[in-house]
Amino acid sequence: MVKIKPDEIEILSQYIHRISGISIEKSKAYLLETRFTKLLEEEGCTSYLALYHKAKSDHQKIIEKKIIDAITTNETLFFRDNSPFELLKHKLIPELIDARSSGNSAGANPSIRIWSSACSTGQEIYSIAIVLKELLRDVSKYNITLLGTDISDAAIAQASYGSYNKFEIERGLDRVMLTRYFSPVGTNWKVKDEIRSMANFRKINLMQPFNGLGKWDIIFCRNVAIYFTLADRKRLFTKIADVLAPDGALIIGSTESLTGVCPRFVPMRHLRAIFYNHK
Amino acid sequence: MNGLKILVVDDDAVTRSLLTKRLTKESYDVETAEDGAKALDLIDQRSYDVILTDLMMPQVDGIGVLEAAKKISIKTEVILITAHASLANAIEAMKKGAADYLQKPINMDELILRLQKIRHTKTLIKNAADLREAMDVTEKNSAETIQRLELMVNELETRLNRIAHILKAHGLTADERIQKALAQ
Repeated sequence: MVKIKPDEIEILSQYIHRISGISIEKSKAYLLETRFTKLLEEEGCTSYLALYHKAKSDHQKIIEKKIIDAITTNETLFFRDNSPFELLKHKLIPELIDARSSGNSAGANPSIRIWSSACSTGQEIYSIAIVLKELLRDVSKYNITLLGTDISDAAIAQASYGSYNKFEIERGLDRVMLTRYFSPVGTNWKVKDEIRSMANFRKINLMQPFNGLGKWDIIFCRNVAIYFTLADRKRLFTKIADVLAPDGALIIGSTESLTGVCPRFVPMRHLRAIFYNHK
Repeated sequence: MNGLKILVVDDDAVTRSLLTKRLTKESYDVETAEDGAKALDLIDQRSYDVILTDLMMPQVDGIGVLEAAKKISIKTEVILITAHASLANAIEAMKKGAADYLQKPINMDELILRLQKIRHTKTLIKNAADLREAMDVTEKNSAETIQRLELMVNELETRLNRIAHILKAHGLTADERIQKALAQ
């Protein structure tokens, strides 16, 4: 493995921060080595500095994309930490449907808009789709928009394809749910079309302005801001507050906190879960 | 102990005893079944890390054993032993989730290497699972603390705002304001 030099750590981590918002501490230099060894080889670079220069001069940004794919952590699973999904099922969705049905002109389908803002390989948004399907049965009676976004092209590609290997699938999903919503394809499992077609995917860098995104009833932003600096986190949650519907709910990771990050949200408790409303 | 529990399935008694002898010598834990049907009985009752099965057997063949084993536990790895003529079938079996295949006559050194590779992979998978478990426990514990603090900070903030409001109130004496604030 090519050893990374101190000045390369500095240059590369600044570059990564610039393109993705991900903040890498100096003590985590080993992370750069383990994650970039393969890319270094592929690009025929003999040093990290060479990779940096190659990425910078690549106007098609192909190497930049590969760097993002390599540095993002795709640790996710179906129904990761069950409590937000219980919260959706028993509180947020029923209340949302009530709110969107009353005052609605007769016959119009209530609209439900949910955004998984760092969807990684899609497990979170598909888990949400499964909750909706289980709860509402006939989803065609509702105007549902499920959007999954991520900064990594590779993650988005896997998410929209919706195919998972046995290690990705066996965590979090029981046998009943697995056979109900997935079909075996070779040694993999593929999300059935009825679920897959409920979700749309798009590449979004959370560091950039959210143009044309519209307002969302429920936003999931779990375990992504942990990789950002406090200053970037403040900017991110301010932008999220801007695109959350007035009566909308924000769900963050179970070990994350908005104290000192964004004064526009107020924490609410329901059973074992916490969510945030506008203050 | 080499840490793998192996089921050898072959209708040929000589092959069975040859494999048992060699694998036992390498300190693997070995059991045998003389045909596919027997193997299915055993798979139903006990769990094996690796099933080493002949591909061509009457009634339940190697593919039958593979499918049954994978249905019960995807963690069981299956190695197929195949005559040269059935190579195409063996490759078909790999597509159905077999870990590997070996051609007859079995090269024992090769078999041992394949088993070591499986053991290595299983160790890595277990390590990853242990780490996830540790992460889950840590996450659950810190989540409770963080969420409690999150709500507490919010409550205190609300209370401080109320107190500030009272302390700034007009039409009350300083004493009254302090008394009222302390009651919050």
